[in-house]
Amino acid sequence: MKKKILISPIIVFFLILFVFFYLLIIDRNPSELPSVLINKKVPAFETKSLLENKIFVSPNEFRNETTLVNFFATWCKPCRDEHPYLIKLSNEKELKIIGINYKDDSKKAIKWLEKLGNPYSNVLVDSNASLGIDWGVYGLPETFIVNSNGIIKYRLVGPITKKNYHAFVLKVKEVEK
Amino acid sequence: MQRILLAILFYLMTSQIVGINCYSVEPDEFLQNPKKELRARNISKNVRCLVCQNQSIDDSSAPLAKDLRILIRKKIEQDNSDEEIYNFLTERYGDFILLNPPFKISTLFLWILPFVFLGIGIFVIFLHNNKSKKLDYSK
Amino acid sequence: MVPSLGNITLWLSLLLAIFQFVISHKKNFYSVLQFNKIAVNGLLFCSLASFFSLMYCHIVSDFSVINVFQNSHTTKPLLYKVSGVWGNHEGSMLLWILVLTIFNYFIFKLYNQKNIIFISKTLEAQAIIIIGFLLFTILTSNPFDRMTTSHTNGLGFNPLLQDPALAIHPPLLYIGYVGFSAAFSFSVAAMSINVEEKIPWHSYMKPFVLAAWIFLSAGIAFGSIWAYYELGWGGWWFWDPVENASFMPWLLGTALIHSLITVEKRKSLQSWVLLLSILSFLLSVIGTFLVRSGILTSVHTFALDPTRGIYILTFVALLGGYSLILFGLKSKNFLNRHCFSFFSREGSILVNNIIMIVVCASVFLGTIYPLLVEIFSNNKISVGEPYFNSITIPIMMPAILVMGMGPMLSWGKADVIGILTKSLPSILLAVVISSIFFWVYRSYNMLGLAGIVLAFWIMSNILLTTFRQLNIKNKEVTQENIPKYSGGMIIAHLGVAFLILGITGSSVWQKEKIIRMKVNDETSIHNYNIAFKEVSEVMGPNYVALQGIFWVYNNKKNMITKLKPENRFYPVTNNSTTEASIHTNLSRDLYVVLGEGDVNRGWIVRIYYNPLVVWIWIGVFAIFLGGLFSMKNNLKKLKRLSI
Repeated sequence: MKKKILISPIIVFFLILFVFFYLLIIDRNPSELPSVLINKKVPAFETKSLLENKIFVSPNEFRNETTLVNFFATWCKPCRDEHPYLIKLSNEKELKIIGINYKDDSKKAIKWLEKLGNPYSNVLVDSNASLGIDWGVYGLPETFIVNSNGIIKYRLVGPITKKNYHAFVLKVKEVEK
Repeated sequence: MQRILLAILFYLMTSQIVGINCYSVEPDEFLQNPKKELRARNISKNVRCLVCQNQSIDDSSAPLAKDLRILIRKKIEQDNSDEEIYNFLTERYGDFILLNPPFKISTLFLWILPFVFLGIGIFVIFLHNNKSKKLDYSK
Repeated sequence: MVPSLGNITLWLSLLLAIFQFVISHKKNFYSVLQFNKIAVNGLLFCSLASFFSLMYCHIVSDFSVINVFQNSHTTKPLLYKVSGVWGNHEGSMLLWILVLTIFNYFIFKLYNQKNIIFISKTLEAQAIIIIGFLLFTILTSNPFDRMTTSHTNGLGFNPLLQDPALAIHPPLLYIGYVGFSAAFSFSVAAMSINVEEKIPWHSYMKPFVLAAWIFLSAGIAFGSIWAYYELGWGGWWFWDPVENASFMPWLLGTALIHSLITVEKRKSLQSWVLLLSILSFLLSVIGTFLVRSGILTSVHTFALDPTRGIYILTFVALLGGYSLILFGLKSKNFLNRHCFSFFSREGSILVNNIIMIVVCASVFLGTIYPLLVEIFSNNKISVGEPYFNSITIPIMMPAILVMGMGPMLSWGKADVIGILTKSLPSILLAVVISSIFFWVYRSYNMLGLAGIVLAFWIMSNILLTTFRQLNIKNKEVTQENIPKYSGGMIIAHLGVAFLILGITGSSVWQKEKIIRMKVNDETSIHNYNIAFKEVSEVMGPNYVALQGIFWVYNNKKNMITKLKPENRFYPVTNNSTTEASIHTNLSRDLYVVLGEGDVNRGWIVRIYYNPLVVWIWIGVFAIFLGGLFSMKNNLKKLKRLSI
């Protein structure tokens, strides 16, 4: 009995250290949040479009093909940095990208897209962050990969950069299968 | 030079874009009904600000915190219960957004282990008591 | 020149520490003593030289040193250039090492004819710790690394950290953490050589533990004071992982001090002393690890770097593994001399120990639980303030009850009826004072009630204890079983009572008012009227500020004070801070913060009424004094022993 009492601190100690070691070795970002919407259906919403005069109804738009959903704003510098990569994705890979203009000035957004190019098949307006909240967005930019059945399969927090571009494309291919 | 600095200061103080200027919950957000407002404050105090370090949305100056505070008040006005509001948030952001961890299978140990520790402690005291009862007390 | 000097002395320190470790294995103990003299003094000198070299570089703004470039700026006031030395990761490691060598020196001073073997062994253990920290600093965090490009100015410094309380907070904490290293070394030495009973190893340990504990308390207090007046919502504790990292060694330190008292008087609880001193030190180092490894995010984190984390963790694994295995094997040699019943003074200390450990374990659990969940599921949860409050407060309450009663119990035997008769006066006194308190304040909150009653329970007990002590002195009666009460204990326990008073008052009865005010508007909070008189611009040494002036009146229309909260903008680093304005007296703090706004819409103003807050700081000060008193008595005793 006494032996058990005396050995237990050592065992607990090494278990805890093992946990810490493991966490240090794996590749993780301590401030990143995993999305809880993965493997769930796209949220149902209706909102107006930035450039056209239509209403966008969500379940209808995510039926036929793999779609990307990209939350962006003109006041967000990393969004500007990732923009060329979005253009690349829409041209080279011919991906359908839906842009959601988050808490932004619509006029500014239209000018921004005119100036930098428009990779989006459609741009939606989220003036009061309600769409952002529905998608669990907490920092711009965020990009979601939705499969042809309307299920969200992946979320990237932060901009698409030279470093993660290829990994991201691979992820898209994975979803497409 | 002074003038320029002061001008910058005034600009920052009145601009909306730099998040530092919304110093936590603002009077303009308050609901008229004080009971409902108290509910809103209590719920906000339990919701984590996701872009800050260890603050609730009630205390935080971040734009996302403000959006969530307004959302919570809107839902209270629509007569949602506390539980419904928490569920709404965790469905979109996960359990991480709650500062008070929920009572689930994954958090079972979190809530139970302190009592286990206490139990072990009381057990140690009992052991000690038994041991000293068997032997003589020394002066 | 100077940075190179700093680097050289750092390497020299490493050599000296290795020397100190190696020589303890020599057989001739008198030559070990001589060599240790060289090692200990050399280490102290080199670490002082190293530390002050870095300080010199900061003061003269030598931007060829990476550390100075990253953390300093020519416009920083001198005080903050100095405190900037330890306000960053690399510099703080130099401070750790300096304090380690200072304690190393004091361990050395304990040498006398009888304890040569024991002290040499202690110095050997201490040397390993110093080597570990030096290796870590030199290999992963060398503050004397040079820039490859040249710059005329640095990257400035976070204005949030340019603050007197925050300047002093790290050194106090480090004295605390490092002090426990001495306790660790004493324990490891005692176990590894199976120290003889006539060597009072625990008496040697006590002043070190007292020093560590009171400085840790002060360090935590200054961190809280800073958070209170700087962060802007009248709070002073947030259960942030780094705060928890300082609180856990404090809890174990409290248990350790009380166990040391028991060992001294009754030779019981020795194995508790050994285990607690090992765990306190391990927790101090793990706390350091948590903050600097990037494993957690918190308001406090230094540069995040997993490689550093792996180094520290390996070090902790080696130290902890060795010491705990040693404990498992050898602690049975340190059995209790006297047995004691539950209702004795030792019994109350045992209960206190258990409660401190349970709270410490729960806080640790809450702090690392999110990490465990992350590993075993893909989910991420957070454990915040509500959890910690609901677990620690109920468990601490019995500890406070016991704390009131404990000092009145006698050593060894139980005297249940005696206890009841002795404590009756204090129970009555506590009830009377609490009733008066509630009759004056008229607020009936359960938690508040509990807190106030507990605080007055302790104060009543101390009052009666002091009264009895004076009575005994006057009558010159010397009976064996009447315990003598140490002045240090009385002051420190009084401090805890004040602490509880302050914590209860400021948490339970805080009032908050958030409104928009234009100039000349008036508002009120709890019997005070506050008039917003004007808004003006103010220049500081490296900032520009918008200052609001508020006149505060009490309910008799007398003006009490003018409060002047500011919003500061620092052009160098391009950030802003809010400075609250606080009026303090013994019964409450009035606290005003200026928010955003403009002339047309008015400004957002946050006003707090915080009752009894100042008693928290008074309480910690009393704890510090009480511990200092005890330390003085212990050092006197040690002097007598060494003759």
